[in-house]
Amino acid sequence: MTLNVPNVPTRKPPTDAPVFSVDGLWKVFGPKSERVPADPELAALPAAELRTRTGCTAAVRDVSFDVRKGEVFVVMGLSGSGKSTLVRCLTRLIEPTAGTIAIDGEDVRAMDRARLRELRRHRAAMVFQHFGLLPHRTVLDNVAYGLEIQGVSRAERRERAAEVVAKVGLDGMEKRRPAQLSGGQRQRVGLARALAVDPEVLLFDEPFSALDPLIRRDMQEEVARLHSEEGRTMVFITHDLTEALKLGDRIALMRDGEVVQLGTPEEIVGSPADDYVREFVRDIPREQVMTARRAMRPAHAGESGHGPAVRPDATVAEAIEAVARAGAPARVMDEGKCLGVVDSDRLLGVVAGVDEAAVDPEPQEAANAPRREQVTETAPVSTTPEAV
Amino acid sequence: MATLTVPNATATARPRVLRSRAAGKLLLLALLTAVLLPFLGRWGNGAWPHALTVDLTKPLTTASDWIIDNRDSHPLFLYFFGYVSDAVVLSVRAVYLTLLAAGWPGVTVFAALVAWRVAGVRLAAGTAVAFLACGVLGMWVPTMQTLALMVVAVLVSVVVGALLGLAGGLSERLDRALRPVLDTMQVLPAFAYLLPVVLVFGIGVPAAVLATVVYAAPPMARLTALGLRGADPEVLEAVESLGATRRQRLLTARIPLARKELLLGLNQTIMMALSMAVIASVIGAGGLGDRVYQALASVDVGAALAAGIPIVLLAVVLDRVTAAAGSGAEAADQRPRAIGWLYALAATVAVALAARLLTALDWPSGATVNIAEPVNRAVDWMTSHLYSGVPVIGGTADWAGHFTTWVLDPVRDGLQWLPWWSVLLVVAALAWLIGTWRTALTAVLAMAAIGVLGVWEPSLDTLSQVLAAVAVTLVLGFATGVAAARSDRVERVLRPVLDVFQTMPQFVYLIPVVALFGVGRAPAVAAAVVYALPAVVRITAQGLRQVDPAALESARSLGATGRQQLWQVQLPLARRSLLLAVNQGVVLVLAVVIIGGLVGGGALGYNAVFGLAQGDLATGLVAGAAIVCLGLMLDRVTQPTERRTRKGA
Repeated sequence: MTLNVPNVPTRKPPTDAPVFSVDGLWKVFGPKSERVPADPELAALPAAELRTRTGCTAAVRDVSFDVRKGEVFVVMGLSGSGKSTLVRCLTRLIEPTAGTIAIDGEDVRAMDRARLRELRRHRAAMVFQHFGLLPHRTVLDNVAYGLEIQGVSRAERRERAAEVVAKVGLDGMEKRRPAQLSGGQRQRVGLARALAVDPEVLLFDEPFSALDPLIRRDMQEEVARLHSEEGRTMVFITHDLTEALKLGDRIALMRDGEVVQLGTPEEIVGSPADDYVREFVRDIPREQVMTARRAMRPAHAGESGHGPAVRPDATVAEAIEAVARAGAPARVMDEGKCLGVVDSDRLLGVVAGVDEAAVDPEPQEAANAPRREQVTETAPVSTTPEAV
Repeated sequence: MATLTVPNATATARPRVLRSRAAGKLLLLALLTAVLLPFLGRWGNGAWPHALTVDLTKPLTTASDWIIDNRDSHPLFLYFFGYVSDAVVLSVRAVYLTLLAAGWPGVTVFAALVAWRVAGVRLAAGTAVAFLACGVLGMWVPTMQTLALMVVAVLVSVVVGALLGLAGGLSERLDRALRPVLDTMQVLPAFAYLLPVVLVFGIGVPAAVLATVVYAAPPMARLTALGLRGADPEVLEAVESLGATRRQRLLTARIPLARKELLLGLNQTIMMALSMAVIASVIGAGGLGDRVYQALASVDVGAALAAGIPIVLLAVVLDRVTAAAGSGAEAADQRPRAIGWLYALAATVAVALAARLLTALDWPSGATVNIAEPVNRAVDWMTSHLYSGVPVIGGTADWAGHFTTWVLDPVRDGLQWLPWWSVLLVVAALAWLIGTWRTALTAVLAMAAIGVLGVWEPSLDTLSQVLAAVAVTLVLGFATGVAAARSDRVERVLRPVLDVFQTMPQFVYLIPVVALFGVGRAPAVAAAVVYALPAVVRITAQGLRQVDPAALESARSLGATGRQQLWQVQLPLARRSLLLAVNQGVVLVLAVVIIGGLVGGGALGYNAVFGLAQGDLATGLVAGAAIVCLGLMLDRVTQPTERRTRKGA
């Protein structure tokens, strides 16, 4: 670092370089909070004991992760798990207690006020749970607010805001005030306001929890659509596991300020890291999350030539449909190559969750012995390399 | 008395009483008294002992003389107060001349256009009618005098209040320092502000304007701070997340978000400025208040009414228009902009010029109606027919006399008969039971200060009037409030009445009571009751209506009768509101009882008026200080604990 003193962003990050890189992040609320992360003994204390000993509450404990360019990174946890604090630490809306945060390799915690403002203005924009709209401004002026703060001229910011308003489907409502909009429309304004400044990263803090279920689904689809169109990096905070699974490329599951598990939706559902996560994902319809890649077995001779074809990242539900329609095992095809075959037994095994044994390193022979035999019989080779 | 009952109670039901906090407090007080009594008793058991008073008359007279002697020579006056005073006089004069130059057509048109712009057609018509009525009553010039004084006072109050509020809204520490001061200023009677200002500026317009500013600025400051602090934190966070600087955050988010509170502050400041501008006639404000004051001094009810009606009209118009500006803040944007400010101004200038050309600037003398005489005839008729000797019900003067003989006199004599230390004890006990030891301490110290100032007797006289008026107010107010809370029809009927009554300046209430009851202590009490009643009714009704509907519903589902619901659910749950109603009632009653000094209420109010009228500032200032102490004491005694703790949080 010392060699790069003329701090020009000389190194152009490769596409898989992290946008946000968080390492050992702590946020402790309370008196003399800095001593908690510094002292390994205090740092190891459980929450209740920490509070009685020091009067401090650790909202975020030693959290590390990278957000890759172009992905939707979901932080998921119940209320009080520290996820909202975490996302606010990323742009220092809440000042972190310890650890490092880097955006494109630049240390966020070392930024001075002007640089930090620059970061907030141009590089990371946030969407809030209760929208945070200015009630005295019209939709258009709310959307243009971020540009106004930057000092963009009135005509230009209105023009750009009008484009974004159209993009989120609010045409014709430019002149209304937030109070005249429904919850879903308000959040579209919030989203448009964040998009208008064309940020590198979008941060979402439980953006849809205050909405009705149907509207929520609409908005989730809207976000998915925006992501597929623009490929913008997103950090998405939610307490709703279904939402996390639906939107997330990767999910960090938080509990009491710590990340319990970090992985793809399939990994979280397929291989829960501990009982807490297992309890969490118990009611998730596995066929919607698990992919054909995970369910497939090597093709027997002659199978690779015919039968319905599914993509390896198709969900098990889709594969079931294909198999049921054809009445025969389906081929898992990737760029014209047959990777393997899914048949009804394998698919049922995934849905029932009994394939876990194949990838689960935990020895649970005693309990699952009879079923495991069955599984191993039909699945001689582990076919889920990524999950390990 | 307290010393007797408490040991009794402990003897019979000891364990239970000891568990109760209230009894614990009383016991502690009783103990304290028992220990201190031998020492305190040394100074006698009657009124406040002479040994404990400090005679301030001499130093105050010296100070006041020194100020009068040095007003033209001392640099402090030459280079500071002198400039302030000149600036005030100049600006009031300028506004007054502008109003006169616009003439009655210009002023009326401008006021109507402004009302139209912010509040719609109906209020515009009302405004025009109100201004024309002022002219018809022959009060155009005094109305303009009052208006000119108010415009200047309101502008200064708003600027001062907004700056203080901004400071309090942005800095936690300043807020903590300012809030108790502003809270206290708000409970003090208007009269208390007059004397210190007169001491510095002498009687005249500058003193009147500055007293008005001191009285009217606190609500603006409080509401500004409140609005700035009350902004939705998520909106502020969103603004910060977009990279706004502090200045941008203040200008584009915090101030616009506080718009409602700012306009409410403006409304309250205007109303309080009007109220004070009228009262300040006592110190040379001139205008409508002065007409009322002169008329009341000669018990000329007709003339007082002729000047009083414009005050009421002005109050109602100002209140409605500014309130509409506040509540219509959101709705206003859908309404097509009726007329731009520039057009309003242009129209005014055009009308004023036209009037000038037609030489119709002054109100045509033929177009006035003299209501003073018919009103006085009516009052004379009332005096001869209704004052006394009406069969069965007696006359109004009889009622006033009976009230004085049977209620006011016994209460006053009783209070004055009580040993001085027992008054302090009762104050302490009440304040501690309702509030905290801190409020109790303030209350006792304030009461003791009254004794030290040497105005124990007149203060107890004032206190007796306050107690009697509060008792009547609470009985009537709670009953009406309960009725309004239980029946929508009663509330619908009451609402407009309460609206009008709450906007009228205190001074105006003296006119009808003088007509009905003549002069004396009973009319002062009656005016105080009428003045305080609307607030008590409103707070009571609101408190009862805001009781958790789920609690009421569950009571009803268990088969509670209406009466049971009221006594067992609504009243206990509305306890906080009821205490607030008592607190407000006491504060408002005190304000008017003091002003009652103008119509023969005597006691502290009379001392203050006398001090002002005779130039005996020492007497007046001591009375003013006693009024402040009395106000503090009464407010603290009735201040519920919750209010204090909420402030701390």
